[in-house]
Amino acid sequence: MAIGCAIAMVSQSNPLYSAISLIGVFISLASIYVTLAAPFIAAVQVIVYAGAIMVLVIFVIMLLNVEHSEPRRKRLKFLVPMAIGMAAVLLAETVFILNSVQTTENHLPGNISDVGLTHSIGEGLFTRYLLPFELTSVLLLMAIVGAMSLARRTSVLSATARVVPGAQVLAMDIVNPRGVEDLRKAETETTEEAAHLLGVDFHSDRGAQE
Amino acid sequence: MGPQLSWYLALSAILFTIGAVGVIVKRNVIAMFMCIELMLNAVNLSFVAFSSFFHDVTGQLFVFIVMTVAAAEAAVGLGIIITIFRNRESLDVDDANILKL
Repeated sequence: MAIGCAIAMVSQSNPLYSAISLIGVFISLASIYVTLAAPFIAAVQVIVYAGAIMVLVIFVIMLLNVEHSEPRRKRLKFLVPMAIGMAAVLLAETVFILNSVQTTENHLPGNISDVGLTHSIGEGLFTRYLLPFELTSVLLLMAIVGAMSLARRTSVLSATARVVPGAQVLAMDIVNPRGVEDLRKAETETTEEAAHLLGVDFHSDRGAQE
Repeated sequence: MGPQLSWYLALSAILFTIGAVGVIVKRNVIAMFMCIELMLNAVNLSFVAFSSFFHDVTGQLFVFIVMTVAAAEAAVGLGIIITIFRNRESLDVDDANILKL
């Protein structure tokens, strides 16, 4: 089931469908973890991957909303046979190693052990592996700061900046009307007059028809 | 005969290969991103398999740390994707061929 979902994920052209297939992969991996007597990792897998990360990915897919797929370019066409060849090499290596190295006792133990329970994981995490744990927390802090500074909208727009769905860009004097000095009332009869008064280039459709 | 260690390792290898092929073949940034997540998960599977077959909790600790790193990577990567999309209006990796925003 995991393999099927993974193949479906790679073969989908729509990123949303492949994201849903990836959720299938994560859920089936979590059930494999349960059969491997690792309930804590299975729970974390479901919560972190299938929950948090995939919600983030789907949110970005929805936000960017790009569904059309352009035709494949010529420069990239050689990549597909190359990828298949590399995959064949990788799988052949794996088969070779699995065939040649068969020395360990490799049956799942039947007796109940506390390996994989939350207690043993926490104990290891806070005693022997305290330094990696702290480094991970520092890494998370860096990720938070980095994501915020990346997603922050800069105040000065570059020349190539455009408005994308979900991001409103407003001119400064709309945001801050106090920046405009002349606050006298102005009365006009027609739209053209108002446009002239405001200094806006205005072309009405009615004028064009006449 | 119960499940053997090599089965889990084979499944892990197959998932990793599918992820690697996806990274090479795909052009959409988000799809490549999800393929990288798939490869991380394949490695996690082999960690957990070794850990439970050898009665050692260290593998599962490292799976925990790998998951944390993956979450951090997801946050930063999606931030980069949004920034690139704002500037280029495209998710194609070939359009992002200079290292400048």
